[in-house]
Amino acid sequence: MSTPQMIRRALASVATLTLLAVTIQPVRAQFDAPAKKNYVTYTAEAQTVPAGKHALLQLRFQLMPGFHVNSHTPKSDTLIPTALTLQPAAGVQSGDLVYPPGQPFSFSFAPTEKVDVYANSFTVKLPVVATAGEHTMDGTLKYQACDNASCYPPRTIPVKVLFTAK
Amino acid sequence: MMVAGISLVIWSGYRNLRERRLAAQEREATHVTLIPDTTASADPNSGTAPSPLLGKPAPPLSLMDLNGKQVSLADFKGHPLVVNFWGTYCAPCKIEMPWLETFSKKYAADGFDVIGVTYDSEVGKDTIAKNVQKLGVTYPILLSDPKAEKDYLADTEVLPMSFYVDRTGKVVQVTAGLGSEDQLEAVVKQTIAAGAK
Repeated sequence: MSTPQMIRRALASVATLTLLAVTIQPVRAQFDAPAKKNYVTYTAEAQTVPAGKHALLQLRFQLMPGFHVNSHTPKSDTLIPTALTLQPAAGVQSGDLVYPPGQPFSFSFAPTEKVDVYANSFTVKLPVVATAGEHTMDGTLKYQACDNASCYPPRTIPVKVLFTAK
Repeated sequence: MMVAGISLVIWSGYRNLRERRLAAQEREATHVTLIPDTTASADPNSGTAPSPLLGKPAPPLSLMDLNGKQVSLADFKGHPLVVNFWGTYCAPCKIEMPWLETFSKKYAADGFDVIGVTYDSEVGKDTIAKNVQKLGVTYPILLSDPKAEKDYLADTEVLPMSFYVDRTGKVVQVTAGLGSEDQLEAVVKQTIAAGAK
């Protein structure tokens, strides 16, 4: 095979594979499926940590304005705590999640009855030691939201932690 | 060269996929309508929220209580009453329920009754019973089912949610969320008076 033929074939292969690559759709079913309203959203942020060393990933969650969720320690065993569950991932050793402290909240018609909540946004920290490379950890966040007068049934949203160790 | 080219393309494709996943999550974050439920933001001064049931006969209700006994709305025929949906996870519900207990006794002579319906699929009867006992509630507590939720709550999911039914069986008030104790008593009085007209 002549050099120009080899180049043409290589270019054709590259074009075909490029077409395949750009038409591959990411796993979006979990995001696009019709669902009940979520009061908390999570956006994965690309993070980089040193390979083989202790590092702390930050997982940021946003709440809809006017809503709050119970903290991880809501000070009552009948309230549903905000809790993140992550599946193990190859090449990643993860430690105990670190939740932020909540803030006191009371409903206007019962100012003396305090609950412990997250409002606006909150960040959960995930200690990891990971081998070099790109890593994905799947999980879920369970929460139960209220506004200043009402509460809504508990919800679970998918969480995908994407980070690179190098 | 071919191998290097193919490897490069596969790597690019993987990067592309990863970027798309990130972008998909970002889209999801911005896709949410940042407006609270209308029922949740109902005017706290009125304590009421629009409901398709308002002014209509209360849908039939037949549910198990905490002792396994079937209780029907029809059992309360001729009584003004409130059907109060609540959940063990709902802090404002547990502020409101002792008030309802007080009014069930205060207006017992007017035939006023309270029916609590637990809208809480994650806990068992024992947990519900413990909560009820702790709250000092003695009125009937029933366990919700999909039909009751569809007939009364539709897709609202707001707790607490109360349906006030007059003596004729008509829904005369619907409230969503926690109001003040005084507002609650005013609605109870209106419900009793409505049926007496």
